[in-house]
Amino acid sequence: MRACLGRYNNIDIKMKDLKKLTDEQIVEIVRTKDKELYLEIVIRYQKKLLRYAENLIQDKPKVEDAVQESFIKAFINLNSFDLKMKFSSWIYRIVHNQVMNTFNKNKREMPLLDNIDFDSGHNLELDMSKKEIQERVNKCINKISVMYSEPLSLYYIEEKSYEEISDILRLPVGTVGTRINRAKAMMKKICQNIK
Amino acid sequence: MSKHQIDITKKVMSKIKTEQIKMKPKWYFWLGSFAMFIALIGLIVTLIFLVSLITFSLRSHGPMGAVRYQQIISSFPWWAPIIVVVGLITGITLLKKYDFSYKKNFLFIVFIFISAVLLSGILIDVLGFDNLWIKRGPMRRFYQQYNGDNKQELNNTILNSGRGKRHFQ
Repeated sequence: MRACLGRYNNIDIKMKDLKKLTDEQIVEIVRTKDKELYLEIVIRYQKKLLRYAENLIQDKPKVEDAVQESFIKAFINLNSFDLKMKFSSWIYRIVHNQVMNTFNKNKREMPLLDNIDFDSGHNLELDMSKKEIQERVNKCINKISVMYSEPLSLYYIEEKSYEEISDILRLPVGTVGTRINRAKAMMKKICQNIK
Repeated sequence: MSKHQIDITKKVMSKIKTEQIKMKPKWYFWLGSFAMFIALIGLIVTLIFLVSLITFSLRSHGPMGAVRYQQIISSFPWWAPIIVVVGLITGITLLKKYDFSYKKNFLFIVFIFISAVLLSGILIDVLGFDNLWIKRGPMRRFYQQYNGDNKQELNNTILNSGRGKRHFQ
């Protein structure tokens, strides 16, 4: 697919140069010169976004629809993107909204785990390494509520910073930290038997 | 690259190439932001004015004595506090749409917004601006309508009942 890129471009961008360009630079070219360069954005993000959406909805066709619809919405609203911001946070935000719309449409019951007692202040990273936590997150992320699993997957699987997660979920940074800590505590309680 | 990833790429790019989907122009978003900003400012001004009207109406009717109770009930602008509550909720919703709102403590923003509207409305009353507006300005008629000392309403009642016709002729 990437090999086809040369055909899409009307402007003089070599493949090597294209790789060096940041997302924001590509967005500016798409907006002003060559809309077909949007392909590069799709290639860069589709794998990550599919993985992110899959951690939120376990229905593959719905995941694909949500990601495809997100790319379309992102293209339509590309002129609203502020180049001073991070493009990755912006497109993750669009996927987040799309997934939430899917939830609302299907009235899917999210697991509510309010009865679980957890200690949010405990630093689980002292007990587990980041890699161990990543493995656990991959295994049992679907067992905890989306409210907590989403920031957790963004942090450990998508490797986003607290600031970026705050921009994606539109939550204060402190709330992001609290939710991640709670999610880790929940995960330790719920997923300890999953190996 | 897996099949569904290629499908997504193909579907999205074909829609772009065949112009089934088009980018919205920049002015569309500027206009949207501008309209939202104007709506918020307009809402704040309206709310301040209504809070001032409520405090003015309460003050001009004097203490809530039994004699004046009926008068305040009949002439109080009950629609105003309803609009204030609806306006505050709309204002908070508009504020939430602004990008900065999640970076600050949202409860604090809501508290500042409500306090600013209420304080400004009360300040207008305390500083006596409404007393100026009752005499002149575009809001003159509006304030006169809810002025407890206004005799027009009383006069109309007497005239309509026929008892005061001779006196007012």
